[in-house]
Amino acid sequence: MKDPYSTLGVSPDASDDEIKKAYRNLARKYHPDNYQNNPLADLAEEKMKEINEAYDTITKQRAGGGGYQQTFSGGYPSQSRTSSNPTYARVRNLINAGDLGTAERLLDEVYQRNGEWYFLTGSIAYQKGWLDEAAQNYVKAINMDPNNMEYRQAYAMTQQSGGYRPMGYNSMSTMDCCTTMLCLNCLCGRGCY
Amino acid sequence: MFGYVRPVRAELKCRDFDLYRATYCGLCRCLRRRYGLLAPMFLNYDFTFLALLLWPPETDFPTCYGRCQANPLRKEPMCLDSPALEQAADESIILAWWKLNDNVQDNGLLRGFPYRALLAGLYPAYRKAARLRPAFDRTAQQNLQALAQLEAEGCPSMDRAADAFAKLLQAAAPQEGTRSRVLSQLLYHLGRWIYLLDARDDLAEDLSVGRYNAVAARFGPEGDDACLRLTLDQSLRLMGAAFQLEDFGCRTAVLENILYLGLPLVQRAVFDGTWSEIKKQKIWSNRR
Repeated sequence: MKDPYSTLGVSPDASDDEIKKAYRNLARKYHPDNYQNNPLADLAEEKMKEINEAYDTITKQRAGGGGYQQTFSGGYPSQSRTSSNPTYARVRNLINAGDLGTAERLLDEVYQRNGEWYFLTGSIAYQKGWLDEAAQNYVKAINMDPNNMEYRQAYAMTQQSGGYRPMGYNSMSTMDCCTTMLCLNCLCGRGCY
Repeated sequence: MFGYVRPVRAELKCRDFDLYRATYCGLCRCLRRRYGLLAPMFLNYDFTFLALLLWPPETDFPTCYGRCQANPLRKEPMCLDSPALEQAADESIILAWWKLNDNVQDNGLLRGFPYRALLAGLYPAYRKAARLRPAFDRTAQQNLQALAQLEAEGCPSMDRAADAFAKLLQAAAPQEGTRSRVLSQLLYHLGRWIYLLDARDDLAEDLSVGRYNAVAARFGPEGDDACLRLTLDQSLRLMGAAFQLEDFGCRTAVLENILYLGLPLVQRAVFDGTWSEIKKQKIWSNRR
């Protein structure tokens, strides 16, 4: 197994607090919320597992083998919900397996288009990175079935911006437009030479 | 390409700025060595970013200096040739070639003349690059043709139009392994972002000459900045989410600067109209 300290990006003589901080920062980075519906969610899940294991190992070592620290344990939602309609259930499986082409063809053959049809079409678009079409389809799904939380959640994902940013990369998001101008000028300058 | 992908210099550490410069100057030298004196014309920030991204993770980069071709008296930090630089150089030649071809077709016999002249000059370089990267050459040609067709049809879906360009950039990612999955997701959204931002930037001009514009096709001639900004932010978010999954070694800081600061700032400048002034500025000099 990889050295747990290097997994967390700390030195072996880091203090408990530093380790906790590094762990928390990484856990925030790979949090399932940042990878909902994301085709790379499985990689993030793996990372999270590695980090949890590393943190567990370190805290156990440091507590002399007896200690136990709670690590993050959340699910990476991989569209586990099932569908009563057999075609839609198949489409969901295909989307999870990443076979978007077949999923699209199956959906095209459906004549009666309900909320779920638009939701699934939106999900395929989202997986392809067609974010605008995804949002449009989710809206149609919600209009047809306003009480469905799954559709609403998916739509909310397309409306949020930001996500995780490493430390020190948040400060500039609140800049006014003069400062923006100034900073972009800087990047063209030669400055300190 | 367009020069949208750049770091925010004020937020770079000196070390990272040197690394960026060294990569930029290294790419320039690589272009010149491989493709002759005309090739550095096609040097740009976007492909510097690509070279940084494709570089296998290293814990440290060796500082090398080389003489600048434009000013041989000056020694600049300059990366030595490496597979990542070579790939970026080859692909920028291929893309430049197909873009020029597009320009020749868009313009008439007379107005297209400068492009034709450039094309003729670039041909030997293109031949070499296409021989070295046949797969990328094919993808570039196919996707730009598909894009031209969508534009001719007046495709109402901006995602579909952006998809062709995004796929083109995606083809620059390595073809196998988890790193390939991560990079192709990142490059796809980078391509989508560039295409849509460029469409927003050209909105007024395209409307005045009656050219196809993806943003106008989706939202109408006025555009819809709030909605467009949301979908661009989403692409930025997905780029960040993909970026975090791989190790980029000593290049992490400069890549983070570009992804989390540079791109959002450029996006903001395009939306508030200040971009056109910034774009014109000389790159590494202090003149405004």
